[in-house]
Amino acid sequence: MRVFSILFAAEWRHFRAAKGLVLLCGLLLATGLYGIYYGTTEIARQRQQLAALPELTRRNVEEMKAKFPGPADAGDIGYYHSTFAVHHPDAWAALSLGLRDVNPSYVKLRLLGLQNQLYATDNTNPLKLLSGNFDLAFVLVYLLPLLIIALSFNLLSSEREEGILPLLLAQPIRPATVIGAKLAFRVAVVLGLVWLLSVVGMLWAGVPLDGRVLSWLALSTLYCLFWFGVVLVVTALQRTSAVNAVALLGVWLLLVVLVPSLLSLGVAAARPLPQGIELTIKQREEIHGGWDRPKAETMNRFFALYPQFRDTATIRERFVWRWYYAFQHLGDLAVAPQAAAYATGLQARHNLAESLNLLSPAINAQTSFNALAGSDLPTHLAFQRSATRYHDALRAFYYPFLFRKVAFTHTDYGQKPRHSFTSQPELATARRGLLKLLLSVAAVFGLGLVLLRVRPVLPR
Amino acid sequence: MIRSIAQKEFISTLRDRRFAVLSGLVLLLLLAATLVGRASFRTLQQERQLAQQTVNDKFRNQPARHPHRVAHYGSFAFRPKSGLSLLDGGVDSFTGSAVYLEAHQQNSINFSQAQQAGSLIRFGEMTVAFVLQLLVPLLIIFLCFGAFSEERATGTLKLLLSQGVTLRQVAWGKIRGYSQAVALVVAPALALAAALLFTGEEFAGGLDLVARLALFVAGYAVYFFVFVVGAVVVSAWQVSSRAALVTLLGLWILGGVILPKATANLGATLYPTITKAQMDAEVHDEAQHGIDGHDPHDQRAAALKADLFKKYGVDSEEKLPVSLAGVQMAAGEEYSAKVYQQHFAELNATYERQNRLSEWAGLLNPYQAIRPLSMSLAGSDFAHYVHFQQAAEAYRYGLVQRLNGLQASMGYGDKERRLDASTWQKLPVFSYQAPPLGWALPRLLLPVAALLLWAVGLCWLGLRLISNTSVS
Repeated sequence: MRVFSILFAAEWRHFRAAKGLVLLCGLLLATGLYGIYYGTTEIARQRQQLAALPELTRRNVEEMKAKFPGPADAGDIGYYHSTFAVHHPDAWAALSLGLRDVNPSYVKLRLLGLQNQLYATDNTNPLKLLSGNFDLAFVLVYLLPLLIIALSFNLLSSEREEGILPLLLAQPIRPATVIGAKLAFRVAVVLGLVWLLSVVGMLWAGVPLDGRVLSWLALSTLYCLFWFGVVLVVTALQRTSAVNAVALLGVWLLLVVLVPSLLSLGVAAARPLPQGIELTIKQREEIHGGWDRPKAETMNRFFALYPQFRDTATIRERFVWRWYYAFQHLGDLAVAPQAAAYATGLQARHNLAESLNLLSPAINAQTSFNALAGSDLPTHLAFQRSATRYHDALRAFYYPFLFRKVAFTHTDYGQKPRHSFTSQPELATARRGLLKLLLSVAAVFGLGLVLLRVRPVLPR
Repeated sequence: MIRSIAQKEFISTLRDRRFAVLSGLVLLLLLAATLVGRASFRTLQQERQLAQQTVNDKFRNQPARHPHRVAHYGSFAFRPKSGLSLLDGGVDSFTGSAVYLEAHQQNSINFSQAQQAGSLIRFGEMTVAFVLQLLVPLLIIFLCFGAFSEERATGTLKLLLSQGVTLRQVAWGKIRGYSQAVALVVAPALALAAALLFTGEEFAGGLDLVARLALFVAGYAVYFFVFVVGAVVVSAWQVSSRAALVTLLGLWILGGVILPKATANLGATLYPTITKAQMDAEVHDEAQHGIDGHDPHDQRAAALKADLFKKYGVDSEEKLPVSLAGVQMAAGEEYSAKVYQQHFAELNATYERQNRLSEWAGLLNPYQAIRPLSMSLAGSDFAHYVHFQQAAEAYRYGLVQRLNGLQASMGYGDKERRLDASTWQKLPVFSYQAPPLGWALPRLLLPVAALLLWAVGLCWLGLRLISNTSVS
């Protein structure tokens, strides 16, 4: 133990003297802080944008009140009045933005058919989406392994190349202790950085103090340990520094870049997705066909769903709103199976990717961070389901006005249902991720230790 | 002498087992990416062509309808993939593929690949461009990091110089030898891609494609040359092979991973994007109350009505030879389209301001010079996307105004009547022509200049550095 602490202290002095390494750590700290800054400002911006939406709705109501000063036909209101279903981010999303920029965080809704409103996208700069988010999760998943590689690719080889190893091994020290102390020192430095960044990030983002704090720390710790495990394996192979650097960077390239992009192709091929646009086209056919179909046919199909309105007067006019909204409603219904297939198809892709992420701890870590932050695809799908329920609630609110011919007054705007949805973390996914990461760590450390045992450390 | 050094480097590289393994891997990835790119190109292209055909047929085979109903029925525009996008997908995966074209409003282009791929896509896509832009430079680094440092360590550099060659000549010989080795790895894949492009009947070939592909290849040749020279220079400049390798890898990470993301994010923070909701609200306000706020929609409509009455010398709507609603609809569409155009122009200007930072970063980082060049040549960059967006809007506006014209010509009481089904057969359908290379050329200037600057600058400054470097 004394030997261990002497070696540890020697590493510390060595590290302090090596300007390049201190600089690298400082660089990672700086990029981490920028990541936190970027993530928190991005979430703050999204919050600000979402907070501006009620004002738009209010102005819209003002305009409606001016346009219809007296009691109005609810059909006109449903057509011209728009409201928003909003997806509020969780505070954790600032640390792992996930798909919050690819998917819109609100949907503008009118009483018309839902399916041609639900998939509208927000204004986004495609080049920015392509470049991706520079958040803390990116720094931890992408850049941290590179720091670990830079700190430890010459863990033992530099000692050998500088001729120190024979001197060191001439002392009564086990080689495993030397490697252990060197590795432990680097683990301490890196974990210190990671925990510092994580805590700063959590405080900056103002996350609630719940179990996710520990989950995040455990995930990032295990992910670091995995990379140290890879370092241990490569060190145990006892090649030159240059070979080590190439091998470690090769592993990084494989796990962080190649496996994810190949997995993405594989998942897309294994889980073909019904075209989202198809359902929009089919819904349009249904809705516009509504104008040409006999009114009685439309209304009878509608009344099968809403028998409580069956006693309303037969439509003889050329146009009435309740008939218009009835065929809008039926248009959604006609594509309900396609809409469900589209959503389950997306979920199936996500599930397959998640179940295969044992292949790359980088994907696993990213998925788990996103799951903790509630910023991945499942959360967006949950938001879409919530927006769908909200649209149903709007229909339930307007239909009595339309079918019972109740005039829509100014006070009725206030009675309209409102929507709010906040991301929920997928704790089960994060827990599975943690377990799988533990498995990966055990595997690389196991391999490293076995290699160290079978290949004695050679002094030169 | 340069030639024999080049030959020596070339042959010893080919004999190096590590190089054989690495370049085999890169070549395999390139070929795989080409085939995958073609497969996904084919699927997407077929899907979109079929969908465009379907909506066009549906549009033309509508029953007798009132023209304004047809304007609301609308149509869809699907963005065809450009031929070279199988090599470089650019921003294509992050832009929508279809837009609904209808009266009164301009919709967002929806259903992007990224929305359908989940978070895996954020790790990057396996395309030919990805391999060429990031993996080949890595191969070059592994190939060249020991160019000088190793000769120096083994003392062969001194021997070489005693033959009467200058350091500069040695450097040129090495650069030439390594360049040949790199060409050997990259050429087969590009040849395959070219063969696929020019034999596949789904690619509209022609001179434009040849020119684009030629520039594409030339661009990458310069890019690889920059890396070869850069790696050789660093190898001469650094004390040891290890230091050279670490420096080069550090630069690769900085240029290939950190800078592109940082500049894109910084651009977005500096110039915030307006939300679609906010923009739509502003468009609506301006269409209602006038662009300057003093020209409300109702007043415009009333003035138009008075003008029509005066023009035809009548005093009531029934006596007008045209449908008042149709004329007003056309005027309203003209006004709102103008408002939309202003806002879209502003939005695109914001995007361009955001992207400018990345573009200028090309002067600092060759990766950020080749990326826009490659995307632009492949027809998959932001500018080509905007071109499609504008073509779709031009078609939408033309179609809606034609339908408004039809409505106007129906005369008073048009709402009670319909136009014959044959009317829709005569209307044009949407077909998109991607812009020719000449259109894209002005955008290529900056990245081309940046790449050439790198190549010339490195050759000049770098080789001066090499000739002053220590021999042992």
